[in-house]
Amino acid sequence: MAMLKFKINRFNPDDERRGHYAQEYELDVPKGYTVLDCLNDIKWKQDGTLSFRRSCRSGICGSCAMTINGVNNLACETQALALKSAVITIEPLRGYPVVKDLVVSLDPIVRGLMAVKPYMINKTPPPTDQERLQSPEDRERLEGLYECILCGSCTSACPSFWADKEYIGPHAFLKAYRFVADSRDEDARAHLEALDDKHGLWRCHTIFNCVEACPKDLNPTRAIAELKKELVKGKMG
Amino acid sequence: MNYRETMTSGGALLWFFQRITGVYLAAILLIHVINLHVLIGGEVTFAAIAERVATPMWKTLNISFLIIALFHGLYGMWVVFEDYIHKGWMRVLVYSVIAAIAVVFTIFGTLTMITFQHGG
Ligand code: SF4
Ligand code: FES
Repeated sequence: MAMLKFKINRFNPDDERRGHYAQEYELDVPKGYTVLDCLNDIKWKQDGTLSFRRSCRSGICGSCAMTINGVNNLACETQALALKSAVITIEPLRGYPVVKDLVVSLDPIVRGLMAVKPYMINKTPPPTDQERLQSPEDRERLEGLYECILCGSCTSACPSFWADKEYIGPHAFLKAYRFVADSRDEDARAHLEALDDKHGLWRCHTIFNCVEACPKDLNPTRAIAELKKELVKGKMG
Repeated sequence: MNYRETMTSGGALLWFFQRITGVYLAAILLIHVINLHVLIGGEVTFAAIAERVATPMWKTLNISFLIIALFHGLYGMWVVFEDYIHKGWMRVLVYSVIAAIAVVFTIFGTLTMITFQHGG
Protein backbone atom coordinates (compact mmCIF):
# COMPACT_ATOMS: atom_id res chain seq x y z
CA MET A 1 0.00 0.00 0.00
CA ALA A 2 1.17 3.49 -0.76
CA MET A 3 -0.60 6.79 -1.03
CA LEU A 4 -0.09 8.02 -4.58
CA LYS A 5 -1.17 11.19 -6.31
CA PHE A 6 -2.67 10.92 -9.78
CA LYS A 7 -2.40 13.99 -11.98
CA ILE A 8 -4.86 13.37 -14.78
CA ASN A 9 -5.23 15.52 -17.85
CA ARG A 10 -8.90 16.29 -18.35
CA PHE A 11 -11.00 17.76 -21.13
CA ASN A 12 -14.73 18.12 -21.39
CA PRO A 13 -16.12 18.83 -24.87
CA ASP A 14 -19.18 20.46 -23.29
CA ASP A 15 -16.97 22.94 -21.48
CA GLU A 16 -14.53 23.83 -24.21
CA ARG A 17 -13.78 27.21 -22.70
CA ARG A 18 -12.04 25.51 -19.84
CA GLY A 19 -9.86 23.59 -22.28
CA HIS A 20 -7.43 20.98 -21.05
CA TYR A 21 -6.56 21.03 -17.38
CA ALA A 22 -4.93 18.73 -14.85
CA GLN A 23 -6.93 17.34 -11.95
CA GLU A 24 -5.38 15.59 -8.98
CA TYR A 25 -6.69 12.57 -7.13
CA GLU A 26 -5.23 10.66 -4.23
CA LEU A 27 -5.48 6.95 -3.87
CA ASP A 28 -4.18 4.36 -1.46
CA VAL A 29 -2.74 1.93 -3.98
CA PRO A 30 -2.54 -1.74 -2.95
CA LYS A 31 0.26 -3.96 -4.21
CA GLY A 32 -0.62 -5.49 -7.58
CA TYR A 33 -2.82 -2.62 -8.75
CA THR A 34 -2.31 -1.64 -12.36
CA VAL A 35 -2.80 1.96 -13.47
CA LEU A 36 -6.13 0.82 -14.92
CA ASP A 37 -7.18 -0.55 -11.52
CA CYS A 38 -6.32 2.84 -10.03
CA LEU A 39 -8.36 4.67 -12.68
CA ASN A 40 -11.31 2.35 -12.08
CA ASP A 41 -11.07 2.94 -8.36
CA ILE A 42 -11.01 6.71 -8.85
CA LYS A 43 -13.93 6.59 -11.29
CA TRP A 44 -16.06 4.31 -9.16
CA LYS A 45 -15.39 5.84 -5.75
CA GLN A 46 -14.27 9.42 -6.30
CA ASP A 47 -15.31 10.95 -9.60
CA GLY A 48 -17.79 9.32 -11.95
CA THR A 49 -17.17 11.94 -14.63
CA LEU A 50 -13.63 10.73 -15.37
CA SER A 51 -13.55 9.10 -18.81
CA PHE A 52 -11.12 6.57 -20.19
CA ARG A 53 -11.32 3.54 -22.44
CA ARG A 54 -10.80 -0.02 -21.39
CA SER A 55 -12.20 -3.36 -22.29
CA CYS A 56 -10.12 -6.52 -21.87
CA ARG A 57 -7.96 -5.34 -18.93
CA SER A 58 -5.38 -7.90 -20.02
CA GLY A 59 -3.31 -6.26 -22.71
CA ILE A 60 -5.20 -7.64 -25.67
CA CYS A 61 -7.69 -5.05 -26.93
CA GLY A 62 -5.44 -1.98 -26.99
CA SER A 63 -8.20 0.31 -25.66
CA CYS A 64 -6.39 1.55 -22.58
CA ALA A 65 -3.28 3.00 -24.28
CA MET A 66 -2.42 6.35 -22.68
CA THR A 67 0.59 8.45 -21.79
CA ILE A 68 1.69 7.50 -18.29
CA ASN A 69 4.49 9.59 -16.80
CA GLY A 70 5.33 10.74 -20.30
CA VAL A 71 5.53 7.25 -21.80
CA ASN A 72 2.90 5.63 -24.00
CA ASN A 73 1.75 2.45 -22.38
CA LEU A 74 -1.23 0.21 -21.67
CA ALA A 75 -2.78 1.19 -18.35
CA CYS A 76 -3.80 -2.42 -17.72
CA GLU A 77 -0.24 -3.66 -18.14
CA THR A 78 1.46 -1.01 -16.03
CA GLN A 79 1.93 -1.75 -12.36
CA ALA A 80 1.31 1.50 -10.48
CA LEU A 81 3.84 0.87 -7.70
CA ALA A 82 6.49 -0.26 -10.17
CA LEU A 83 6.52 3.27 -11.63
CA LYS A 84 8.22 4.28 -8.37
CA SER A 85 6.86 7.80 -8.41
CA ALA A 86 4.73 9.52 -5.81
CA VAL A 87 2.90 11.44 -8.52
CA ILE A 88 1.65 9.60 -11.59
CA THR A 89 0.84 11.84 -14.51
CA ILE A 90 -1.69 10.49 -16.99
CA GLU A 91 -2.43 12.14 -20.32
CA PRO A 92 -4.36 11.07 -23.41
CA LEU A 93 -2.21 9.69 -26.26
CA ARG A 94 -0.50 12.60 -28.01
CA GLY A 95 -1.19 13.58 -31.57
CA TYR A 96 -4.83 12.43 -31.71
CA PRO A 97 -7.88 14.62 -31.23
CA VAL A 98 -9.14 14.31 -27.64
CA VAL A 99 -12.79 13.27 -27.35
CA LYS A 100 -13.03 13.51 -23.56
CA ASP A 101 -10.43 13.23 -20.78
CA LEU A 102 -8.25 10.25 -21.70
CA VAL A 103 -10.39 9.14 -24.64
CA VAL A 104 -8.91 10.04 -28.03
CA SER A 105 -10.30 9.66 -31.51
CA LEU A 106 -8.46 6.93 -33.37
CA ASP A 107 -9.90 7.94 -36.75
CA PRO A 108 -6.46 8.97 -38.07
CA ILE A 109 -5.01 5.53 -37.45
CA VAL A 110 -8.02 3.76 -38.91
CA ARG A 111 -7.58 5.77 -42.10
CA GLY A 112 -3.94 4.74 -42.36
CA LEU A 113 -4.80 1.15 -41.59
CA MET A 114 -7.47 0.89 -44.25
CA ALA A 115 -5.08 2.30 -46.85
CA VAL A 116 -2.88 -0.80 -46.59
CA LYS A 117 -5.75 -3.29 -46.93
CA PRO A 118 -5.19 -4.96 -43.54
CA TYR A 119 -6.54 -8.39 -44.40
CA MET A 120 -5.32 -11.50 -46.17
CA ILE A 121 -5.88 -11.46 -49.90
CA ASN A 122 -6.09 -14.96 -51.34
CA LYS A 123 -8.36 -15.79 -54.26
CA THR A 124 -7.54 -19.51 -54.30
CA PRO A 125 -10.25 -21.49 -52.46
CA PRO A 126 -8.87 -23.11 -49.31
CA PRO A 127 -8.11 -26.84 -49.43
CA THR A 128 -10.90 -29.22 -48.40
CA ASP A 129 -10.00 -29.17 -44.71
CA GLN A 130 -10.62 -25.40 -44.78
CA GLU A 131 -7.17 -24.61 -43.47
CA ARG A 132 -4.44 -22.83 -45.36
CA LEU A 133 -1.28 -24.54 -44.21
CA GLN A 134 2.04 -22.85 -43.71
CA SER A 135 5.49 -24.28 -43.07
CA PRO A 136 7.01 -23.61 -39.64
CA GLU A 137 9.63 -21.43 -41.38
CA ASP A 138 6.98 -19.31 -43.08
CA ARG A 139 5.12 -18.99 -39.81
CA GLU A 140 8.35 -17.90 -38.15
CA ARG A 141 8.49 -14.84 -40.44
CA LEU A 142 5.34 -13.48 -38.83
CA GLU A 143 6.87 -13.33 -35.35
CA GLY A 144 6.93 -9.76 -34.12
CA LEU A 145 4.37 -8.76 -36.75
CA TYR A 146 1.10 -10.50 -35.93
CA GLU A 147 1.07 -9.51 -32.24
CA CYS A 148 0.06 -5.88 -32.86
CA ILE A 149 -3.09 -4.99 -30.93
CA LEU A 150 -3.57 -1.65 -32.71
CA CYS A 151 -3.37 0.39 -29.55
CA GLY A 152 -2.04 3.41 -31.47
CA SER A 153 0.88 4.09 -29.10
CA CYS A 154 3.45 3.97 -31.89
CA THR A 155 1.81 6.44 -34.25
CA SER A 156 1.02 8.75 -31.34
CA ALA A 157 4.77 8.91 -30.60
CA CYS A 158 5.83 9.52 -34.21
CA PRO A 159 7.14 13.00 -35.17
CA SER A 160 6.32 12.35 -38.84
CA PHE A 161 2.70 11.86 -37.78
CA TRP A 162 2.77 15.02 -35.66
CA ALA A 163 3.87 16.95 -38.75
CA ASP A 164 1.47 15.30 -41.18
CA LYS A 165 -1.86 14.10 -39.87
CA GLU A 166 -2.46 12.15 -43.07
CA TYR A 167 0.73 10.14 -42.58
CA ILE A 168 -0.16 6.46 -42.89
CA GLY A 169 1.68 5.66 -39.67
CA PRO A 170 3.89 2.92 -38.18
CA HIS A 171 0.94 0.84 -36.95
CA ALA A 172 -0.31 0.53 -40.53
CA PHE A 173 3.16 -0.17 -41.93
CA LEU A 174 3.64 -2.98 -39.45
CA LYS A 175 0.26 -4.39 -40.44
CA ALA A 176 1.07 -4.06 -44.15
CA TYR A 177 4.29 -5.98 -43.69
CA ARG A 178 2.48 -8.61 -41.63
CA PHE A 179 0.54 -9.51 -44.79
CA VAL A 180 3.35 -8.90 -47.28
CA ALA A 181 5.48 -11.37 -45.30
CA ASP A 182 2.69 -13.97 -45.05
CA SER A 183 3.20 -16.93 -47.39
CA ARG A 184 -0.58 -17.37 -47.62
CA ASP A 185 -1.20 -13.88 -48.96
CA GLU A 186 -1.32 -13.68 -52.76
CA ASP A 187 -1.29 -9.96 -53.45
CA ALA A 188 1.61 -8.10 -51.82
CA ARG A 189 1.14 -5.34 -54.37
CA ALA A 190 -2.31 -4.54 -52.99
CA HIS A 191 -0.86 -3.91 -49.52
CA LEU A 192 2.10 -1.94 -50.91
CA GLU A 193 0.12 0.22 -53.31
CA ALA A 194 -0.74 3.01 -50.87
CA LEU A 195 2.76 3.22 -49.41
CA ASP A 196 4.65 4.95 -52.24
CA ASP A 197 2.90 8.20 -51.54
CA LYS A 198 3.65 11.62 -50.13
CA HIS A 199 1.94 10.57 -46.89
CA GLY A 200 3.52 7.12 -47.10
CA LEU A 201 6.70 5.25 -46.35
CA TRP A 202 9.15 8.00 -47.35
CA ARG A 203 7.96 10.26 -44.56
CA CYS A 204 9.54 7.80 -42.10
CA HIS A 205 12.95 9.11 -41.08
CA THR A 206 13.92 6.17 -38.89
CA ILE A 207 13.41 8.04 -35.64
CA PHE A 208 12.61 4.82 -33.71
CA ASN A 209 10.03 6.49 -31.44
CA CYS A 210 7.50 3.85 -32.50
CA VAL A 211 9.81 1.07 -31.34
CA GLU A 212 10.26 2.73 -27.99
CA ALA A 213 6.54 3.41 -27.57
CA CYS A 214 5.20 -0.04 -28.42
CA PRO A 215 3.91 -1.75 -25.26
CA LYS A 216 4.14 -5.10 -27.05
CA ASP A 217 7.85 -4.66 -27.81
CA LEU A 218 7.27 -4.81 -31.55
CA ASN A 219 9.49 -3.11 -34.08
CA PRO A 220 7.59 -1.09 -36.69
CA THR A 221 10.86 0.52 -37.85
CA ARG A 222 12.20 -2.85 -38.96
CA ALA A 223 8.96 -3.55 -40.82
CA ILE A 224 9.28 -0.15 -42.51
CA ALA A 225 12.84 -0.95 -43.60
CA GLU A 226 11.65 -4.25 -45.11
CA LEU A 227 8.80 -2.47 -46.90
CA LYS A 228 11.19 0.13 -48.31
CA LYS A 229 13.28 -2.73 -49.74
CA GLU A 230 10.16 -4.34 -51.23
CA LEU A 231 9.10 -1.09 -52.89
CA VAL A 232 12.54 -0.37 -54.35
CA LYS A 233 12.80 -3.97 -55.62
CA GLY A 234 9.32 -3.60 -57.13
CA LYS A 235 10.32 -0.40 -58.96
CA MET A 236 13.42 -1.99 -60.42
CA GLY A 237 11.31 -4.75 -61.92
CA MET B 1 -0.80 14.74 -62.95
CA ASN B 2 -0.37 18.36 -61.92
CA TYR B 3 3.09 19.59 -61.07
CA ARG B 4 2.40 19.62 -57.37
CA GLU B 5 1.80 15.87 -57.48
CA THR B 6 4.95 15.34 -59.52
CA MET B 7 6.97 16.93 -56.74
CA THR B 8 5.44 15.04 -53.93
CA SER B 9 4.27 11.55 -54.73
CA GLY B 10 6.34 8.42 -55.00
CA GLY B 11 9.92 8.58 -53.94
CA ALA B 12 11.02 4.94 -53.92
CA LEU B 13 13.82 5.38 -56.44
CA LEU B 14 14.86 8.75 -55.04
CA TRP B 15 15.09 7.21 -51.59
CA PHE B 16 17.29 4.45 -52.98
CA PHE B 17 19.41 6.90 -54.98
CA GLN B 18 19.91 8.96 -51.82
CA ARG B 19 21.44 5.86 -50.16
CA ILE B 20 23.74 5.15 -53.12
CA THR B 21 24.89 8.76 -53.41
CA GLY B 22 25.54 8.76 -49.66
CA VAL B 23 27.94 5.87 -50.05
CA TYR B 24 29.55 7.49 -53.12
CA LEU B 25 30.08 10.77 -51.25
CA ALA B 26 31.65 9.02 -48.28
CA ALA B 27 33.98 7.11 -50.59
CA ILE B 28 35.08 10.20 -52.53
CA LEU B 29 35.62 12.12 -49.33
CA LEU B 30 37.83 9.35 -48.05
CA ILE B 31 39.82 9.31 -51.29
CA HIS B 32 40.28 13.08 -51.03
CA VAL B 33 41.51 12.95 -47.47
CA ILE B 34 43.84 10.01 -48.04
CA ASN B 35 45.22 11.57 -51.18
CA LEU B 36 45.85 14.93 -49.60
CA HIS B 37 47.17 13.96 -46.20
CA VAL B 38 48.70 10.55 -46.74
CA LEU B 39 49.75 10.09 -50.37
CA ILE B 40 50.90 13.63 -51.18
CA GLY B 41 52.10 14.24 -47.65
CA GLY B 42 54.29 17.19 -46.84
CA GLU B 43 52.97 20.69 -46.76
CA VAL B 44 49.50 21.42 -48.09
CA THR B 45 50.10 24.43 -50.32
CA PHE B 46 48.08 26.03 -53.09
CA ALA B 47 50.59 24.81 -55.64
CA ALA B 48 50.35 21.21 -54.48
CA ILE B 49 46.56 21.24 -54.61
CA ALA B 50 46.32 23.20 -57.83
CA GLU B 51 48.57 20.81 -59.65
CA ARG B 52 46.31 17.93 -58.72
CA VAL B 53 43.05 19.74 -59.41
CA ALA B 54 44.22 20.70 -62.91
CA THR B 55 44.42 17.07 -64.10
CA PRO B 56 41.45 15.71 -66.10
CA MET B 57 40.98 12.80 -63.71
CA TRP B 58 40.56 15.05 -60.69
CA LYS B 59 38.43 17.46 -62.65
CA THR B 60 36.03 14.66 -63.50
CA LEU B 61 36.05 13.38 -59.94
CA ASN B 62 35.45 16.85 -58.51
CA ILE B 63 32.63 17.62 -60.90
CA SER B 64 30.93 14.33 -60.05
CA PHE B 65 31.41 15.14 -56.37
CA LEU B 66 29.92 18.59 -56.88
CA ILE B 67 26.84 17.39 -58.71
CA ILE B 68 26.18 14.43 -56.46
CA ALA B 69 26.76 16.38 -53.25
CA LEU B 70 24.39 19.10 -54.47
CA PHE B 71 21.75 16.54 -55.35
CA HIS B 72 22.15 14.62 -52.10
CA GLY B 73 22.13 17.69 -49.87
CA LEU B 74 19.39 19.61 -51.62
CA TYR B 75 17.10 16.61 -52.05
CA GLY B 76 17.63 15.88 -48.35
CA MET B 77 16.61 19.46 -47.56
CA TRP B 78 13.52 19.14 -49.73
CA VAL B 79 12.49 16.01 -47.84
CA VAL B 80 12.79 17.89 -44.55
CA PHE B 81 10.73 20.83 -45.86
CA GLU B 82 8.18 18.44 -47.31
CA ASP B 83 7.48 17.09 -43.82
CA TYR B 84 6.31 20.42 -42.52
CA ILE B 85 5.07 22.42 -45.50
CA HIS B 86 1.66 21.33 -46.66
CA LYS B 87 0.36 24.39 -48.49
CA GLY B 88 0.53 23.96 -52.25
CA TRP B 89 1.97 27.38 -53.11
CA MET B 90 4.55 27.23 -50.31
CA ARG B 91 5.74 23.87 -51.57
CA VAL B 92 6.10 25.24 -55.08
CA LEU B 93 8.04 28.23 -53.75
CA VAL B 94 10.44 26.21 -51.60
CA TYR B 95 10.91 23.64 -54.34
CA SER B 96 11.71 26.39 -56.84
CA VAL B 97 14.27 28.00 -54.53
CA ILE B 98 15.98 24.66 -53.97
CA ALA B 99 15.97 23.89 -57.70
CA ALA B 100 17.40 27.35 -58.45
CA ILE B 101 20.22 26.85 -55.94
CA ALA B 102 20.98 23.49 -57.56
CA VAL B 103 21.15 24.96 -61.06
CA VAL B 104 23.25 28.01 -60.13
CA PHE B 105 25.77 26.08 -58.07
CA THR B 106 26.07 23.33 -60.65
CA ILE B 107 26.78 25.84 -63.43
CA PHE B 108 29.29 27.93 -61.49
CA GLY B 109 30.97 24.95 -59.90
CA THR B 110 31.31 23.06 -63.15
CA LEU B 111 32.61 26.13 -65.00
CA THR B 112 35.20 26.74 -62.30
CA MET B 113 36.40 23.16 -62.48
CA ILE B 114 36.54 22.99 -66.27
CA THR B 115 38.40 26.25 -66.73
CA PHE B 116 40.81 25.75 -63.86
CA GLN B 117 44.42 25.79 -65.01
CA HIS B 118 47.68 25.57 -63.19
CA GLY B 119 51.05 26.92 -64.06
CA GLY B 120 49.83 27.65 -67.61
S1 SF4 C 1 2.86 -1.71 -33.20
FE1 SF4 C 1 2.78 -1.74 -30.93
S2 SF4 C 1 2.37 0.42 -30.40
FE2 SF4 C 1 1.85 0.21 -32.56
S3 SF4 C 1 -0.33 -0.21 -32.59
FE3 SF4 C 1 0.72 -2.22 -32.62
S4 SF4 C 1 0.88 -2.83 -30.47
FE4 SF4 C 1 0.37 -0.64 -30.47
S1 FES D 1 -7.91 -2.83 -21.43
FE1 FES D 1 -7.45 -4.01 -23.21
S2 FES D 1 -5.34 -3.56 -23.52
FE2 FES D 1 -5.75 -2.58 -21.62
